[in-house]
Amino acid sequence: MAELDGFERAMPADEIEEGVMYPVEIDQEERILVKVNGEICALNGICTHEEALLADGDLEGNTIWCPLHSSGFEICTGKVTNPPAVVPLDTYDIRIEDGDVYVAIEPRPKYKEPPKPTRRRR
Amino acid sequence: MTALPVAVILGGGLAGHRAAKALRQAEFDGDVIIIDAEPVRPYDRTFLSKAFLQGTKQSEDLFFESEDEYADWEIDLLTGTRATAVDFAARRLTLDSGDTLGFDQLLIATGASPVRLRQPGFDLPGVHYLRTLADAQALQAGIVGGTRVVVVGASFIGSEVAASTRMLGADVTLVDPVSAPMASALGEEIGRIFAGIHQEHGVNLRMGTRVVELRGHGRVEEAVTAEGERIPCDLVVVGVGVRPETGLVAGTGLEIDNGIVVDQFCATNVPGVYAAGDVANWWHPARERRIRVEHFDNAALQGTAAGRAMAGQPVAHAPVPYFWTDQYDINLQYAGFPGSVENIVLRGDPGAASVTVFYFAGGQIQAVATVNQSRDLRPARQLIEAGARVDPAMLADLKTDLRALARRFRPVK
Repeated sequence: MAELDGFERAMPADEIEEGVMYPVEIDQEERILVKVNGEICALNGICTHEEALLADGDLEGNTIWCPLHSSGFEICTGKVTNPPAVVPLDTYDIRIEDGDVYVAIEPRPKYKEPPKPTRRRR
Repeated sequence: MTALPVAVILGGGLAGHRAAKALRQAEFDGDVIIIDAEPVRPYDRTFLSKAFLQGTKQSEDLFFESEDEYADWEIDLLTGTRATAVDFAARRLTLDSGDTLGFDQLLIATGASPVRLRQPGFDLPGVHYLRTLADAQALQAGIVGGTRVVVVGASFIGSEVAASTRMLGADVTLVDPVSAPMASALGEEIGRIFAGIHQEHGVNLRMGTRVVELRGHGRVEEAVTAEGERIPCDLVVVGVGVRPETGLVAGTGLEIDNGIVVDQFCATNVPGVYAAGDVANWWHPARERRIRVEHFDNAALQGTAAGRAMAGQPVAHAPVPYFWTDQYDINLQYAGFPGSVENIVLRGDPGAASVTVFYFAGGQIQAVATVNQSRDLRPARQLIEAGARVDPAMLADLKTDLRALARRFRPVK
């Protein structure tokens, strides 16, 4: 089995189907693996609004819906697409080694919506 | 050079906050100014009666954005400021500082205010209402284990406060003329579930009666019911509903009828003046009726719609309204259109507090409530949106896959 610094093995890559959430535990935390258009993405498994397991929610297209209060998160970026959540979901780099998916222990920088400073100057 | 357009947003709640961001997202190039009487930037009120009161979220966890974020988005916050008059002809607000502020576009997102009770003793110290962060802080400061709390009103705020204060170890009595907590909004079946869960957690229920008087020497000491029962208490919380906050615009020619009357684009009868959130009585184009919603989700979506309309990019606001409540380990979610209900269909076991309730009228699902059955919420909401006519027996049958059913009714794109 491969050893990757800063990553933990999650599951075999070929078991991951499109349109299904795979809850995995990485670094003793809930994470979710999802395949979208052939790309495997890793997200934090707990909603940023309140403690809820996102794997109990819904996956529709490119969105994960929280089961408790209908917050929506874009897969692969973690961007909030529906309130009440305001904080983006953490996402993680993945690597595939010897057919297994490895998930980074540390999250990527959080998604940040670019501000739109459009005020004309006087 | 033409003058910079000015968009003023009255009210820094969720609707106002979302409108400001939507204006910028739609590349509105003038000033965006939020005015709010509260001394703090916009925050999420839904936590106040739950996570904040319970102590699992602190005040800094409630804000939608950091101060810097508003600067980055070029949104000016005038907090701690109250508008005292509006002149639509001159397009000008008067502020409590005495200054005036001109506007080209105005959004009224003033929300709603708790109904105040005027019965004897309700003006005593120790009587609380809950709307603002300051209200919640004052309430929280008064509660320790063993504090005797009487909650007047068993709808959303009252029931949530009863649950949260009970979780803090308070001795709680919940009083309301209705038959059960939450029953007025959600019906008897769900009322029974919430009555059971509150009793299980040790809340003293006094349903079917009302508090007619509060008594105390310098401070509330007891609540007296219509039957004459005297309930000793250290603190009273009143949650008997809210009224749309229309005081500023009353008598100005702005159409008011159960809130500020707006169309599906959040526009009032005064050009350039909009309303959104709890204060707005809006036209739902798909349902062809007026509706006013006092919940988070509508304020968020309608605030965004208002901001877009103000920026000249109107989109019809036509969602299926949605809200939730969390009490103890019960998560309730509701989607749909409240109104007269002809029959209800239960899916699951109400005895086990794990059930979905469909509310029918005219052969259509008007609304759905899920009690610890969150997986049913999205497909049910889609069925409502589609105006689906579904055999009630199918919905009641746990073997029916609601997702598959909802897909059959999804509009073909």
